[in-house]
Amino acid sequence: MPQRAARRLSALIIATVTATGLIGAPGLQARDPAIVAAASDLQFALAEAAEAYRRITGDAVKVSFGSSGNFYRQIRQGAPYDIYMSADESFVLDLAGDGLTLDRGALYAIGRIVIIAPEGSPLEADSELNGLRAALAEGRIEKFAIPNPEHAPYGGRAEEALRHAGLWQALAAKLVLGENVSQAAQFATSGSTQGGIIAYSLALSPKLSARGRFALIPQAWHRPLRQRMVLLKQAGHGARAFYDFILGPAGRAILARHGFAAPDETP
Amino acid sequence: MEWDALWLSVRLGGLTVLILLPLAIVVGRLLAVTKVAGKSLIEASLALPIVLPPTVIGLYLLVAFGAGSWVGALWQELFGHTLVFTFEGLLIASVIVNIPFAVQPIQRAFEAISPELREAAACCGLSRWRSLWRIELPLAWPGIMTGMVLTFAHTLGEFGVVLMVGGNISGETRTISIAIYDRVQAFDNAAAGKMAGVLLLISLVTIALSFLFAQRVGRRDD
Amino acid sequence: MTETAGISIRLEQDFPIPLNIDLAVDPGEILAIVGPSGSGKSTCLRAVAGLHKPSIGRIVCNGATWFDTAAGINLDARRRRVGLVFQSYALFPHLTTLENVLEALRDRPPERRRHEALAQLARVRLEGLEERLPRQLSGGQQQRVAVARALARRPDVLLLDEPFSAVDRVTRQRLQRELAELRHDLEMPILLVTHDLDEAARLADRICVIHHGRSLQTASPETVMARPQSPLVARLVDLRNVFSGVVTGHRAEAGKTLLEWQGRCIEARLSKAFPPGAAVTWCIPADSIIVHRRDRPSKGERENPVSGIVREAVRLGQTTELVIVVGDDVRQPFHLEIPTHVARRNGIEVGAAIGFSLRAEAVHLMTPEPDGAGQ
Repeated sequence: MPQRAARRLSALIIATVTATGLIGAPGLQARDPAIVAAASDLQFALAEAAEAYRRITGDAVKVSFGSSGNFYRQIRQGAPYDIYMSADESFVLDLAGDGLTLDRGALYAIGRIVIIAPEGSPLEADSELNGLRAALAEGRIEKFAIPNPEHAPYGGRAEEALRHAGLWQALAAKLVLGENVSQAAQFATSGSTQGGIIAYSLALSPKLSARGRFALIPQAWHRPLRQRMVLLKQAGHGARAFYDFILGPAGRAILARHGFAAPDETP
Repeated sequence: MEWDALWLSVRLGGLTVLILLPLAIVVGRLLAVTKVAGKSLIEASLALPIVLPPTVIGLYLLVAFGAGSWVGALWQELFGHTLVFTFEGLLIASVIVNIPFAVQPIQRAFEAISPELREAAACCGLSRWRSLWRIELPLAWPGIMTGMVLTFAHTLGEFGVVLMVGGNISGETRTISIAIYDRVQAFDNAAAGKMAGVLLLISLVTIALSFLFAQRVGRRDD
Repeated sequence: MTETAGISIRLEQDFPIPLNIDLAVDPGEILAIVGPSGSGKSTCLRAVAGLHKPSIGRIVCNGATWFDTAAGINLDARRRRVGLVFQSYALFPHLTTLENVLEALRDRPPERRRHEALAQLARVRLEGLEERLPRQLSGGQQQRVAVARALARRPDVLLLDEPFSAVDRVTRQRLQRELAELRHDLEMPILLVTHDLDEAARLADRICVIHHGRSLQTASPETVMARPQSPLVARLVDLRNVFSGVVTGHRAEAGKTLLEWQGRCIEARLSKAFPPGAAVTWCIPADSIIVHRRDRPSKGERENPVSGIVREAVRLGQTTELVIVVGDDVRQPFHLEIPTHVARRNGIEVGAAIGFSLRAEAVHLMTPEPDGAGQ
């Protein structure tokens, strides 16, 4: 490359880099719009809710999805979220106990788990998990996906249900753990596993229901998924407004459509 | 296609390069011309981020700068918010992680300059500063550009560290790599695919550029 | 040579390369440091330039002390005004010819720089090549740029480190000629380092023979080649005809010393330092050996007539190298070079008898080396 051309190219690159670095210099903007840390099972429900909210109020809301346990950890370390929507209320109550939240929050839904089998899988999805039992006995299960019980509430419930059905030991070595319930759903429906246990709200979505069949697992087989949301200390007006929206009729209707049962408020 | 995630990544890359560039030139040149005893040790520690898994680096950074650390607490005092989970936190992490990508090509470039050239410059009466500016820097420039380009590309693709230290906050720490991961989890493969394609294109251009510059280093003094 | 003009150099060190040099060069004089590879020539040059710091020494140039271990003075290369032409030229590869020379002119007022640079380039006959990059120049042209850059500095001493070694013979001879012409305009002392004896003899006013870092003899080329100080120097300047003998007496009125060698009497230049009976090593340069023509045998009026048998006759193009055994001692043959046509004309071949004379004035006596190794 000739010297002059190299010099010009260098100058161009430097100018570009400098420009990108300095334009829109970083710095936390005002806490508007609100930032929501939401459990992954709310992937579709909250996307719809945020869109509805925007149409009504004209305000946008930023949502980050992940496992409830991860968000709990990040909030403890000072992560700048405004609203925390957990799939397990114990995380919320714990934070509230340490004064990291505005109040003790509110239950927004009761979650359900389902067993799901993708198209072409030898696994038959049924509520009693008999299909799973049979497939295991016949050695036709190589890999089975659940969310990580360590920090994803849906994973913990999946484990409880499997233990209740006496299938945990047999499955333990074949488990593929998703970082959160969304990733578990990915694994379960990708075809690389024979199936898995994921959130009802995810299985209901058109994208997933097309990929396989699922069946609800009885609520009695695990501790209830009492999903609680809370405003964090730095929440501003926009956050409060959205918080109220979720808990109001419009929000509840959206949640119900996505398979979330309305909670009976026993705080 | 999340343009603000892309823009965030580009900004992160750009600022990382701007900050690292002068530092890496100073350190790279120093390592190239000094023969001090602990040199291998210094080089090894600077190369550490290449061999450490990004999650390990992310973890250590989180511990070092998180709300529990004195750095994090000081930052909170000064600016009213945490250092982690912010763009600034990402920037600091990015600078640390990219040290070897910036320093090594620059060090090699300075090493490739024959010592006789420096001596000739001294015999011409050039001051140390002028010798650096007029003789060494132009000759090392292709290597410096390579270092910049590699740093930029590496930052664009950085995932593990951003995940640990960033928190996927849109507009603040949601880089394009995180956005791709996020879209996949949301079963939105179309969006993920588009962004991945853009990233691939940028990476190709980056590699091509770094090869072009590397050629210049090789052909320099015949 | 006074302390105030020219350069005086005294260097000593053991490590990493042993050095023991004591030199002085006058303004306008070319002194060539000659020695085999690794003898410390380049190190010495670099020490003068300020690029190397010897353990002990003193360098004073034009009255200014550049280096003095006793006084703790060591001027950085930048502060000494040296012009150094590197063996590899060390031209700045990214700058044009003109820009290379301009870098040495930073101490001139800006408006004068370009003019001076062009003048220096014209001096070394590089007009028209100002905008070329070093890689676009031939070896000879690069060398000239290096010289121009060194001279542009208006140095107090010009240092040349094997400046002609990297080019072919034709170019080398042309460059040597140019240097020989150029030096008349130069007023500074010039130090030239080379391993090529012939080159040193052609260019230098004096040569310094160096061996393992030690300066053995510093004198004009003719002196060193004809009257080496020791058998070692004789070897280093490629004097082949070095023999051992014994002094038998002196004839001061004739200016001769007599010695005994292989049963003959050899007349040598008067050297009173060697008493009769002393063992000596004697030598004679090739150009003082005169071969007798076949058809005109010696009638006894020639000096030191010697006859022997040709043991080897190696034809190397236009020259034939002869090894001649004189008398019985096969260990001390004579080495001669004669033009091939002369050899042919006189029937000089292996086994033939040949006679030659040694010019007495050129027979030079030296103290033998302790282990008797003179040849």
